[in-house]
Amino acid sequence: MSAFALAWRNLVRQKRRSFLMIAVVTFGFASFALAGGFIAQSFEALKEGTIRSVGHLQILDRRAVGKAEDSTLEYGIPEAARARALVAKDPDVAAVLPRIDFVGLATNGAKSVPFLGVGVDPDPEAAATLAPELVVSGRYLSGDGGDGIVLGTGLAAALGVKPGDRVTLLATTPDGSLNAVDGIVEGLVDVRIKELNDRYLAGGIGLVSRLLQSSETVSKLVVFLKPGANEEKAAERLAAALTAAGFPIAVQRWQELAVFYGQVRLLYIGIFGFVGTVLVVIVILSAAIVMTMAVTERTREIGTLRALGTRPSGVLRMFLAEGIVIAIAGCVAGMLLALVIRAGLNASGLMLPPPPGATHGMPINVKLYPLAYAAGLAAMILTMGIASFIPARRASRIAIVDALTHV
Amino acid sequence: MSTHSGAPLIEAVNVSRSYALGAARVPAVRDVTFSIGAGEFVALQGPSGSGKTTLLNLLGLLDRPDEGTVRLEGRDGESLTENERSDLRRDRFGFVFQTFNLIPVLTAEENVAYPLALAGVEARQRRVRARELLASVGLPEKAAVRPDLLSGGQRQRVAIARALANRPAVVFADEPTANLDSHTAEEILDLMREINASAKVAFLFATHDPIVVERARRVVKLHDGAIASDERV
Repeated sequence: MSAFALAWRNLVRQKRRSFLMIAVVTFGFASFALAGGFIAQSFEALKEGTIRSVGHLQILDRRAVGKAEDSTLEYGIPEAARARALVAKDPDVAAVLPRIDFVGLATNGAKSVPFLGVGVDPDPEAAATLAPELVVSGRYLSGDGGDGIVLGTGLAAALGVKPGDRVTLLATTPDGSLNAVDGIVEGLVDVRIKELNDRYLAGGIGLVSRLLQSSETVSKLVVFLKPGANEEKAAERLAAALTAAGFPIAVQRWQELAVFYGQVRLLYIGIFGFVGTVLVVIVILSAAIVMTMAVTERTREIGTLRALGTRPSGVLRMFLAEGIVIAIAGCVAGMLLALVIRAGLNASGLMLPPPPGATHGMPINVKLYPLAYAAGLAAMILTMGIASFIPARRASRIAIVDALTHV
Repeated sequence: MSTHSGAPLIEAVNVSRSYALGAARVPAVRDVTFSIGAGEFVALQGPSGSGKTTLLNLLGLLDRPDEGTVRLEGRDGESLTENERSDLRRDRFGFVFQTFNLIPVLTAEENVAYPLALAGVEARQRRVRARELLASVGLPEKAAVRPDLLSGGQRQRVAIARALANRPAVVFADEPTANLDSHTAEEILDLMREINASAKVAFLFATHDPIVVERARRVVKLHDGAIASDERV
């Protein structure tokens, strides 16, 4: 009879204790799998949101890297159409979005409010970056945008305007003079971050170029790649092609642009690591207590096995096998429990409260993340192995005559 | 003191063993020299505390002496590693205990087969041998029964079958009849005598049961950890 078969019979013999221990492992594993799935889902949503906002790659003037402009379009990319066409030729590129970043004042005639503006090419911009649920009133820009603008809901509230209303935009041109144009509010968007919502304004490249009295110059080109494309290689290719064409540009990847993504990820990993450690310690302590009880209760049996010729390593293996059988049984039950809880949570529609600075909460969505299940299995087997080892080693070292007379 | 003729199977030479009792050490066996030969049927007799179980444990390589040495077929037991001693017990010794000491989660057949599994005997051969042994102790129909469903006498028969599994040279039996009624005790002793006669397996008992002493061919009396007498019957 193998050590595992003997271990299984001993576990069946001690039903209540085994059930308790398997339950501890079950909840431990389910916690690993669910927390891992939730965090993976959160990372994915965060990554998706980040890329939707900043693109996979951004192309900008080398001088603009890490620097703020003293005046609008100081470090712009001239001949934007030519650069855009060059980038669009790359086989991995799905979309190239020109953007002009600028600041100014929006006025309704009675009240002026500062805004953070972005000039966009409306149709490709909407296709690549716009989540339909962000438009809360009216519609997004289309075609070349004409005189249309969209405002963040906070900015619109501050100005007291709604779709169809006219707003005058004032901004400083690259040569330092002040200019104004009229825009028509096409729609209101909720960009999910309160501070940005209070300042957000978007208009077509044509309107923004008229306001800034610039033509053919953009702040950056935002690049979206096709699924599965290698970002690093695409960045290298684009940098080489544009440099060869006379553009003194730099290509930045989304990870460099979205520092908060890395910070949030580290924070989540830290929280998960801490909770995971606590979980593992609880399982280790519970298992060690249970295994110590098992060794104590079966001391005479250990003496018998040793008298019959079982080597100390055989006794060690027997108790380790019990720990591992508990871990496997607990993980199988934990997997089923995690799947049931996951299905329940995903169907519940429960929302998490908005994170600081955000205007909307996030629906609870737990991904089926095989790596979390594998990590849970490995952690529980390792944990049970560690928890069983000390009592098992003690069992293997008990003096035979003491064990045989143990009461 | 060795009173039998021929090469000794197991030999204790000037062995002493004491145990800690608080700060003091209590001697259990004192400077004993003793041996048994192949096929003997020997009873170690004495009152409680006379050292018979301690001597049995030392001879069975379950314990190590403080002084002196135990030899099995000329091999010095004290120079062996724990694994080598385990292997020797598995291959050359059988043990029968007062409280039967069967593994509760195993059936009678699996209990008998356990030492065979330790010795690496293939599963089918283990089953055949275990059934043979159960038949030889009169329990062929109890192969699939767990120990808790057997009577005391039946459990001890299973324990005897288990002790014989690897065809040992000697079976050590520590008070094997203490938990049995006198009728069952006599049956068990008769069974052991039969095995002793047919399989030439030596038996060494630690006992104060007269039923055992009556059947022994050699009686060694212990007193205060030393051999008081050693007589062939």
